[in-house]
Formats: sequence, structure tokens, C-alpha cells
Amino acid sequence: MNAVVSRLVQAIMVALLIGTATFVMMRSLPGDAAWRIAAGRYGYDHVDAAAADAVRAELGLDGPALPALLQWMGDLAWLDFGNSLVSGQPVMDEIAHQLGASLSLAVVAILLSLLIGPPLGILAGLRPGGVLDRMLLVASTGLKAVPQFLMALVLIVFIAVQMRWLPAAGHGEIWHFILPSLTLALGLAAVNARIARDAMARIADMPFWRFAQWKGLSERQTLFRHGLRNVSVPLFTYLGLQFVTLVEGVIIVESVFGWPGIGHALVHAIFSRDVPMVQGTALVLGLGFVLVNATIDLAVRRIDPRVTA
Amino acid sequence: MSLLKAVGVIVLDGGAPLLQPLSLHLDPGEPLVILGETGSGKSLLAQALMGTLPPELTARGRVAIADRVLDTGSPDRFRGLWGREIGVLPQEPWLSLDPLMRARAQVAETHALVRGLPRGEAAARAQADLAALGLAGAERRYPHELSGGMAQRVAIAAARAGGGRIVIADEPTKGLEAGRRDDVASLLLSEMGDTGGLLVITHDLALARRPGGRLIVLRSGAVVEQGPSRQVFAAPQDAYTREFLAADPENWSARTPRAGTEPAVVSARDLAVSRGGRSLFAGISLRIAPGRIFGVTGPSGCGKSSLGDALLGLIPPDRGTVTRRPGDHPHAMQKLYQDPVAAFPRKRSIGQTLADTVSVSGGNSADVDGLLDRLGLDPTLLGRRPGAVSGGDLQRLSLLRVLLRSPSFVFADEPTSRLDPITQARVIRLLTEIAEKDGVALMLVSHDAALIRNTADTVLSLDAAGTAAISEPATFGTPVAEALT
Repeated sequence: MNAVVSRLVQAIMVALLIGTATFVMMRSLPGDAAWRIAAGRYGYDHVDAAAADAVRAELGLDGPALPALLQWMGDLAWLDFGNSLVSGQPVMDEIAHQLGASLSLAVVAILLSLLIGPPLGILAGLRPGGVLDRMLLVASTGLKAVPQFLMALVLIVFIAVQMRWLPAAGHGEIWHFILPSLTLALGLAAVNARIARDAMARIADMPFWRFAQWKGLSERQTLFRHGLRNVSVPLFTYLGLQFVTLVEGVIIVESVFGWPGIGHALVHAIFSRDVPMVQGTALVLGLGFVLVNATIDLAVRRIDPRVTA
Repeated sequence: MSLLKAVGVIVLDGGAPLLQPLSLHLDPGEPLVILGETGSGKSLLAQALMGTLPPELTARGRVAIADRVLDTGSPDRFRGLWGREIGVLPQEPWLSLDPLMRARAQVAETHALVRGLPRGEAAARAQADLAALGLAGAERRYPHELSGGMAQRVAIAAARAGGGRIVIADEPTKGLEAGRRDDVASLLLSEMGDTGGLLVITHDLALARRPGGRLIVLRSGAVVEQGPSRQVFAAPQDAYTREFLAADPENWSARTPRAGTEPAVVSARDLAVSRGGRSLFAGISLRIAPGRIFGVTGPSGCGKSSLGDALLGLIPPDRGTVTRRPGDHPHAMQKLYQDPVAAFPRKRSIGQTLADTVSVSGGNSADVDGLLDRLGLDPTLLGRRPGAVSGGDLQRLSLLRVLLRSPSFVFADEPTSRLDPITQARVIRLLTEIAEKDGVALMLVSHDAALIRNTADTVLSLDAAGTAAISEPATFGTPVAEALT
């Protein structure tokens, strides 16, 4: 019960911090916000000073910042995210629409990374210093060092452009998932392979591992009965932190592949100074982080009875 | 008909023999105890018999178990015996159970996977095994919810569920309190019964004495004496065996206590200490004079170490005062740690570490040489890292480091609990000599009541409830210590 309350408090703090920070950042960006918003509404070719002034007057952009921020927070208390400055639609509707696309991409990416990383990590951890272990170290260090946008471009160039196996961008068909989720998954797998490898190597060196074999269990039985569950604890715990990498990656990857998700929307909203959209999107991502971590805490507590605090 | 017969087993490190040719046999209902100090090769013997030697070591010799004859030179073949013929009682049973698995499941999986019983029957058998060992009600607990003794019983049930008639116990009392040694011996004997085989490997004399049966004494990889256990303990033939048996603190001749009339080096008044919100003890007053040994004994967790730490000022007392002799440098208060390996930086040579101590204390390197000589240590040890030095030598090197600060008070916290009896006797003798000759006030903490009784001038016994009792010869004019509870 206490844990739920503290998570709720955390969520409220996150909401206030993110709302304020995004607001301040958006206000301090250089350039004329009214001009950008007008461009977002009508297109750059149709914007002139009159259109910008009209937007400025309509949205009260010249007004003081503080009342605008307090207004937003007041609305937020009623779960009203406000309306997009560009489309005029409620921010809530826009986000709800985009969140589905992002979530499906993120879930596929995580599942894919769990299929790639931990099995390789566990095999490497069973023979520390072996060939696979050393190869995995090089591969995961290399993959981790490649920025997501570069990884996306490399995959597009090789798999979509050169080989013509998959479409370079798009959304709606099952094969549109493959390249963007693979881009995200490789970055995630680079890390969780190392986590699994270190956990496995540590566990295989523990007395209970040896004892399981002395009881008469085969290598395989020992791994399945005593290895996997123990490896999963650090893996799950780390998954919460990896969510940060994932959010970061989603923003980049959606933009590169033209994926109509929340990250894509965030980038567009920033370009057109759509402050309520930026605040709303950042808020959803931040609260998602709290939710994911709370869920993982609960999951780890179920697996590992020693965790009580 | 022997359950296990080993002929001409040797262990080699490259070309160097670590274990001389050794033959033994294990008969039903007759325990065999292998006794030896650290480095005697007794654990290598166990590993050779099970095929678990580290890959850099090689073994030769034959082992006949059940209807099979195996060559210890090809350890892979032994794997099929694990659980099915040989059950191993592991060291440190707590760490040998899977922390994420309930007690019954750890036993049931052996029934299911090794003997191939259906799940339901395996669980029922496991339940019965645990109940037979007095663990009814604990079957759904996780290892961290079991006491050390309970964990050990779960481990033996799991080890034996595969049907092995032979039990090998390699240092089964390691990590357990002294008070539990008799329970371990009884457990092993009852598991053996009339038809099973039992091989116990230990340096613990109290454990070695209990099972009876036959005894083999090992030293530097060679057998020095063997025979019926009772006979060897009653009338040891070999000089080394006699030395080993005499090293048991129970057999030490008691030191004559000395009264202390000089001003105390350190004293405490009405001291109360708690750890993690739990009160350990309250109302302890004591004074320790120069050259006197103040012994503290009691079960683990009773606050022995915390008392010493409070005297050193390492932890704040809840109540009461600690007074040090005026004029003593703060560095004159020193502590000798239980685990010497952990008390040295791992990746530096011991010589470098000691040189650091010399330079901060403003001494010169001749001090180290003088102390090496006095403590009977080989100067070549200075070039090694702590991991490459035996426990006894390393504990003496820790003592050397403490002496470099010219201490007036030394708190020795279980300084010998990880050492075998002979080394333990040697280290305690050195500590006694230093207290007496250098006038150091020594606070010696040990769980071993006999060791404290035969060494200290004054004994403070703590029990788990925090009750303190002081004993010292009535002839002392001025009390060296007093307890107010």
C-alpha cells in the first residue's frame, strides 16, 4: 500500500517537473513562436506577418508566462491537457491516437531484444572467457556505441535500399515493424546481453549452482531450474532503466522511419512550437517511465522473495 | 563389501605432487574422518574422489564405487555418480540452496529429475524427507528464512534424495557456530545409518572426534597416522598428531591470569550499544590495564564485535562513556580483523601495503624487518599479494601491521576463526606474548569459550539476550573489569 502511495506522489512530482521544464524550455527557444505556429497551421509558403500576428493575438503569446503555466496546470488537475495550437484538436485525442503506434513498436522492440540479448548473454556467461564471450563483448560494445539514428540509416541503406528486402519507411503492414524495431532492439540487446552474461557468470560461480549438479542434475537441468530465474532478476531490474534508452530511441527512430507515433509527434510539436502538445507528450512519456518502473518493481518482488523494502 | 574403495590416489599440480598415494575404503555403517590442517590436501582428496578437481590439477588412481571402477584421471566419468551414488553435504549450506526456490522444491527436484519420479510423488517424498529431519512446517520457506542448521538439513535431504548411499561432507561446520557442531555430527551419523557410507573431511577437532569410526590424519599431502578414531584420539602415535590434538583449545594449559593495578588503557562505564535498532547489551562497565588480556565470548550476534568497535570509537554507543588513557595517540588504538584477506588491498603486494603504513606512521623500513623476525615470518612473503598467502601467515602479517603503529590497545576480533587449530594456537601464543612483553592491552573476542577461558585474564560472557557475566580470579585486588547488569 505504501509503495502505491509513494509511486503516486512520484508520478505527481514527475508531472509537475516535466510540465514546468518543457514550458520553460519552449518559451526560451529562439525565434518567433507565433510565426512557427502559423507555419505549422498553414504551411511555410502561406505565412506572412499578418498571419503570425493573428495567431499571436488569438493565443495571447505576448502575455506573461506564469499565468499561462498555472492555467495549464489547473486544467491538468481535471485531466485536461488542452488543445493543440496547430490542429486545434484536444491534445489528449492526438496522443491517444499516436500512443498506440509507439507502444506497439516499443513492445515489439523489447521482445525482439529479449530474444537476441539474454540467450547469447547466458551462453557466454556459462563459459566466461570463451570464444562466444569475447565475441559478444566486442559486438555489444560496438552496437552500444552506434547512435540510434546511425543504426537506423545503416539498416535502411543495407536492407531496404541495397537488398530491397524490406520497405525503408511506412506504417500499417507487419513488415513495416521489422526495421524500426530491429534498430531499437539491437541497442537494447547490446546492453541486456551484457547484464545476462555477467549475471550468469556470477551465478555459475555460486555454491548453489555447484550443489545443484552434485544433487545429480544435468547441465541443462541446472540451467533451466536454477539459472534462468536467477538471471531474470537483474535483467528485469535493468529493463526499467532501459526504458529511458527506449524512449530516446523511439523519438529518433520514429522520425527516421516516418512512424506515426508519440516520438514523431513530439519532434513535430517542437518544430511548430506547439507547447501543449510538447507538454502532453513529454508528460505521457514521463508517467510511462514511472508506470514501467512500478510494474517492474512488482514483478521482481514476485520473483525474488528476498526483496522486501 | 566396501561402498567405496580408492587405491593409490594422487593429485599433481603439473609435476609436483600435492597428495601422496593414498588408499582408503568406506564400509557401511563405519564413518571415515580425514583430519588435517589447511593445505594438508584433505579437500583435494575429496575433490579427486568426486571428480571435481580444478582443471589445472590432475589426479591418478582408481576408485571403485558400487559396481563401477573409475580412473580419477578422467573426472568426467564421475558425474554420473553425483546424487545417484554419492551425496555431498556442501560447505556453507545457506549459499548452497537456490535463494529463489522454496525448501521443498529443492528436495523434490532431485526426486523428480534424478530418480524420475512423477511430480506429485516427488513432492510427497520431499515432504516426508523434510518431516523426518524435523523440518515439518518449513517446506514452503525460502533459504533466507531458514536458520543455518535448517538450511543444512534441507541441503542434506536434497543431496540424498537421488538415492546415494555415500555421503561426503567437506568441512560441514564451516560458516556454522561452534554450538552447532554436535548437531552436524549427529545429523551425519543418523543419515548414514547401518548401511550408508560417511566420509567427513575437517580440521575441526570437535567434529572429528564425534562420529567415531576410523580416522586418517593428513599432513602436507601425506598420511601421518590412521586407525580407529577412538584409539588415535586416546593414544596418538605420531608427533604431529599429538601436536594437532594438543592445539585444540580444550586441551590448552590455562594461562595464569594476572591482575592489573596500573591505570587502564581503555575503560568504559555503563555502556549500551544497539545495531539496526536492536539493543545488543546495556550497562557494561570495564577497564583494561596494560599487558592484560580481556576475553569476550558468546554466540554470534550477541554484540561481541560491537563492544570492541564501541571501545575503538568505530560505532557510537547509545549510552555510557568510553575513556582512553590520556596522552595516547589515537592510532595507538588498533583492530585486528577476522578475515585477513579482506583486511589487505587485494591488488597490491603486502610489502607495498606495509611500506604505506610505515610512511604514515613516520617509522622506517627496519621496523618491518625486525617484526618479521619476531613473528617468525619469511621476508619473501612481502612480495606476494594477500590472495597468495596462507591464512595463518596473513593474519600474522596483519598483526605486524598493527604493531607498526606501536599500539597501546588492540581489539582482536575472532582473529583465528578461519585458521586451523595448529595455526590458531600459534597466533594466539604470539598475541599473548605481545600483550605481556609490550604491555599492550588486548581485547580478544572469540566464539570459542575454551580458547578464551584458557587465554584471558578476565572473561566477559555475553549471551544472545545481551546478559553479561564476568569471571576473573578472586585474588585480584582491583577488579580488571566489572559488569553492572
